Amino acid sequence: MQGTGLLKGLGVTLKHFFQREITEQYPDVMPELPERYRGCLQYDFKKCIVCGICINTCPNDVLSMETEKVENSKKKRLLSYTIDFQYCMFCNLCVEACPASCLYFNQNFELSVYNRDDIRMVYLRPADMVDTEEAANDQAEDQQQDKEQKQINAMITALNKNPQKIVAKIIAGEEEVSILAELILRDEKIAAKIAELMVKDKEKAAKVAAGFVNKEKKNRQNSDPVPKGGE
Amino acid sequence: MEHWFTDLFLAFTGWLVGLGLSPVLADAALLIIKWIIIVAIIILNIIILIWLERKISAFFQERLGPNRLGPFGAFQTIADALKLMTKEDIVPSAADKLIFKTAPMLFIVVSVLLYSVIPLGQDMQVLDLNVGILFFISIGSLSTIAILMAGWGSDNKWSLIGAFRSVAQMVSYAVPLAFSLLGVVMITGSLNLQDIVAAQDNVWFIVLQPIAFITYFISATAELNRGPFDMPEAEQELTGGAYTEYTGMRWALFFLAEYTNLVAVSALMATVFLGGWQGPWLPSWLWIIIKTYAVILVFFWIKWTFPRIRMDHLMSFSWKILVPVSLANILLTGAGIYFFQGMGWC
Repeated sequence: MQGTGLLKGLGVTLKHFFQREITEQYPDVMPELPERYRGCLQYDFKKCIVCGICINTCPNDVLSMETEKVENSKKKRLLSYTIDFQYCMFCNLCVEACPASCLYFNQNFELSVYNRDDIRMVYLRPADMVDTEEAANDQAEDQQQDKEQKQINAMITALNKNPQKIVAKIIAGEEEVSILAELILRDEKIAAKIAELMVKDKEKAAKVAAGFVNKEKKNRQNSDPVPKGGE
Repeated sequence: MEHWFTDLFLAFTGWLVGLGLSPVLADAALLIIKWIIIVAIIILNIIILIWLERKISAFFQERLGPNRLGPFGAFQTIADALKLMTKEDIVPSAADKLIFKTAPMLFIVVSVLLYSVIPLGQDMQVLDLNVGILFFISIGSLSTIAILMAGWGSDNKWSLIGAFRSVAQMVSYAVPLAFSLLGVVMITGSLNLQDIVAAQDNVWFIVLQPIAFITYFISATAELNRGPFDMPEAEQELTGGAYTEYTGMRWALFFLAEYTNLVAVSALMATVFLGGWQGPWLPSWLWIIIKTYAVILVFFWIKWTFPRIRMDHLMSFSWKILVPVSLANILLTGAGIYFFQGMGWC
């Protein structure tokens, strides 16, 4: 029938009349932003590996960095990182490209500033910061050492438990093996030395072990020649 | 409570006569007081209505509306009025200055005149005219001239197109508007609005004349230039219609007059179709206010629901549908009256 559409329209507006308002009272109440909202681009100086991928990726030349040569080395050191935010189009390409995930968008959308220059965000090198590469190397070394120490400790316990079996790997001959095993059980220092060398360098371990065995053989010949001779 | 205002007026005239004034002069003084009260009512209404319309349109669109100034933003209109008063008054150099300046004044005067016949309560009327409805319709049509003057005097194409549209629309819709009131007049046998209210003692005319009510409502919407019939000031096409060149208080007068017309037409609708000031428990002047505002709320509801219709559709709707329907209603009413009188039921 003619006119029912009008009533339907009136019904729609009436329904909306009693629905809750969706207006956000912004300056009074901050809006709830979605988790992946692209607000202000942020940069983490300490996480950055200075690969420059972000700068190559950016379509608008927003990003730039300043580096200096490290003395007596081919390496460069990052001095400052600049985000010229006025050109940013929030495409997220740099964030996706960053392998160290040191670029990210936060939820801050209040980006207006009084001065045009204030739009540029310059991240200067923090004073207490060590070279990222050195730090990385140090860390790697530390890790390596930790790992070795653990292996050595494991080896020592293994040696104390079942010396013959392990010693057999670096030394030949039943007599030698039993002598070395005895030595390891008797002297912790020898056990530690053998264990360390076994983890780091097996050939050296074999030589040292042979040295220990020979020394022990001589000691035994010198210390009790009488019973031997008496037989 | 019922006789607050009438008692007050009687006491006032009594006081004036007691001072030694002749009764005629005392009545004249009372008339002036009544007009001042009408103007006060109008201005108070504007302040409430503009706020109400902004608020209600916001609710229809799930917004909040004005809410910064005063409780629920109620003082927003006052701030707007102050702003309008401080604005520069610009008269275009090419404008027909006399016509340009008279148009808003004429418009507001015509709108205020409409209130003279509306019964605002029992025995509360500025003029108890025995041709009240006729007066209302004829004075209401005068506002067309004000808009035409505004459009012509502005010397601006938007203004002129808006004015032409407005004139065409208002002339077309005045016909079904008058015809739809005719059914009620036929039943009561009087053009006096107090008689019409008295005739609705038992049953409101919205029950006896539902078709007339609907045609009156539609043509009143068009007469008021309100959405969905707001072609004369279609912002998107005409940048403001006949009011394009007006600034500051001159523009505010048009705005004021539009809302004044809205209240007047709604009050007439409440008087003619919804039982006027009659109602239980509450005093009569409160009933007319409640009914008028109920009608105004429906006007708001319709404005913020329907999109603007096309100019040619608007005209053909008036001449091809509303006029025949209201004529048929008159025929039906006449036949009904003849039938009921023949049966001796009334």
